[in-house]
Amino acid sequence: MFKKILIANRGEIAIRVARACKELGICTIGIYSTIDKKSLHLRFMDEIEWIGDSPPLSSYLNIDAIIKAAKQTKCDAIHPGYGFLAENELFAKACEDNGITFVGPNSNTLNLVADKVASRNTVKKVSVPIIPGMEMTCTDLNKFKQAAKEVGYPVMIKASMGGGGKGMRVVHNEKDLGKSIAISQREALSSFGDDSIYLEKYIEQPHHIEFQVLRDNHGNCIHLFERECSIQRRHQKIIEETPSPVLNDKLRIEMGEASKKVIEASNYTTAGTVEFLLDKNKKFYFLEVNARIQVEHPITEMITGIDLVRQQILIAAGEKLSLRQEHIKQNGHAIETRIYAEDPDNNFVPSPGKILYLSEPQGPGIRVDSGIYQDWNVPPHYDPILSKLIIWAENRDLCIKRTTETLKNYIILGIKTNIGYLKRIIKSPSFCRGNYDTHFIDEHEEKLLPKQEKLDIALIAGALSKQVGFAKSAINFQKVSTIKSTPWQEIGKWEICGQ
Amino acid sequence: MEYKFNFLEQVHKINLEKTDDLFKVIINDKQEYNISDVEVESNLISFKAEDKIYNIYCYSDKDKTHLSIDGENYILEKDKTSKTKTGEQQKGNSVFSPMPGLLVKVPVSVGDEVKSGITLAIVEAMKMQNELPSPRDGIVKKINGKEGEQVDALQVIVELE
Repeated sequence: MFKKILIANRGEIAIRVARACKELGICTIGIYSTIDKKSLHLRFMDEIEWIGDSPPLSSYLNIDAIIKAAKQTKCDAIHPGYGFLAENELFAKACEDNGITFVGPNSNTLNLVADKVASRNTVKKVSVPIIPGMEMTCTDLNKFKQAAKEVGYPVMIKASMGGGGKGMRVVHNEKDLGKSIAISQREALSSFGDDSIYLEKYIEQPHHIEFQVLRDNHGNCIHLFERECSIQRRHQKIIEETPSPVLNDKLRIEMGEASKKVIEASNYTTAGTVEFLLDKNKKFYFLEVNARIQVEHPITEMITGIDLVRQQILIAAGEKLSLRQEHIKQNGHAIETRIYAEDPDNNFVPSPGKILYLSEPQGPGIRVDSGIYQDWNVPPHYDPILSKLIIWAENRDLCIKRTTETLKNYIILGIKTNIGYLKRIIKSPSFCRGNYDTHFIDEHEEKLLPKQEKLDIALIAGALSKQVGFAKSAINFQKVSTIKSTPWQEIGKWEICGQ
Repeated sequence: MEYKFNFLEQVHKINLEKTDDLFKVIINDKQEYNISDVEVESNLISFKAEDKIYNIYCYSDKDKTHLSIDGENYILEKDKTSKTKTGEQQKGNSVFSPMPGLLVKVPVSVGDEVKSGITLAIVEAMKMQNELPSPRDGIVKKINGKEGEQVDALQVIVELE
């Protein structure tokens, strides 16, 4: 087993990984940028190393600085968390070259799964359905026209090395094809440094469903069921749940087996996620492999009872998977809501700044993976994720109610957050019915606006706080000034008696 | 007491009037509420409005009051358009002490005719004297408390007819 792991990340995920390390008896090395000197994750580390200035390129994306810190502190492994360098094959390669274990798949596998066209072809060989479309990237407009005609409009143009919706374009007719190809190429080049694009059929009203998988270096592979991630804004997930309200047992088994095939065909190891699209006729298609521990991993942990980060580290250390497929059961229901520092009522602009007051919820079935504290300044340099609220309950209805009530008790004052917005989504009739697809946010934009139902109450509270608040501070002053002396002082002078 | 807040670029006016254990609140000269059981404890303010109890987290700084109600945040900004000082805008039927302290002086007697803005009582706390002005023209109906006595926060000192 590893002795020391460097956690190449910040915020809640760095803390999550540190917890797993400590339970395994592994020393944790934290890294930080200049502005993160007072960040919460550092309090969970045995040693900390400064790795650069605040901008991500100088710090959390700075491969040389991180490798140097790992060598200096004599780490035998690096856990990348999610985002930043988590799926960067150069980083994995740098670890390999320096004799440090990268907690994740090897650099070759990372390269394969990052290339969408290559992984489509790998997956096709093991007869897992892929979205109909081109088998290789190209630049010839006529080939695009031909492929679009074969699969039928609407079609989707995608960047081969893409992710996060960049370089993606939906095209409804041949007239718009040329223009969309040009835009996609430009976006792909600027975002991924590679302008190769391809075309596939656009799936209408799709569900985004992914399967969690674990595979060790000895060929043992299991899946830990699905996560429904169709609540997305601009291709970014914001709410996830498991089990999916749209899967039946037959489909669940089929997709679970398909995800294992994908992982085996890619020779993928440690923890990974296989993403699928499910169309309105409940036909599923392979989308991509996410080669990291995902933001939404806790909902799987809640319903299976398995610590995924622990398993990921054990596998990276070369241990054999002790879990068997038949032992993995789905127990109850879990929902994750991502708490972001952003203003949903003002076009989701980021809202960094000081947290003036914080009260995080607690109670049965409530898990808060948080990276914040009161009086901390949320820096403007990084992803706006503050924490994740993960709720477990016996069934979906109860889980929705518990999530709603818990969001009401998640108090963050001083910066704008999306807590109210998340509550409005969870309470919406379509979500409650389980009747939603990836277009939910766009279709419900109007309905999700704040209604300011409690404005009068807010005004009353505001006036009362002004009125009584001053009075209270005066009371506190009085209390301090009238403190009575202690009994020890009242006894008077002490003298040692005896001889 | 009158307060003005800016919320989403709209000014809201709140009249707060204390009668015994109750606050009568009028919002924008329209909506009326009866408020009781007011408790303020560091960042938590609780009160009963029309038979419903509210527990509201809040943080006030110089210009803003941040509140969280049922998962929705409200930021009330100090209204910068109004130039009048707090304490000069009492429109109700009584004056009360905004803080616990010593009742230094009550320069009026029951039956006196008073003009709006005239000092009805002086309360001292933290070495500061606070003059409590009359909210309106009227006649002094009742005086609660004597000079030299301690008064509680929100205790009504002078009532007008």
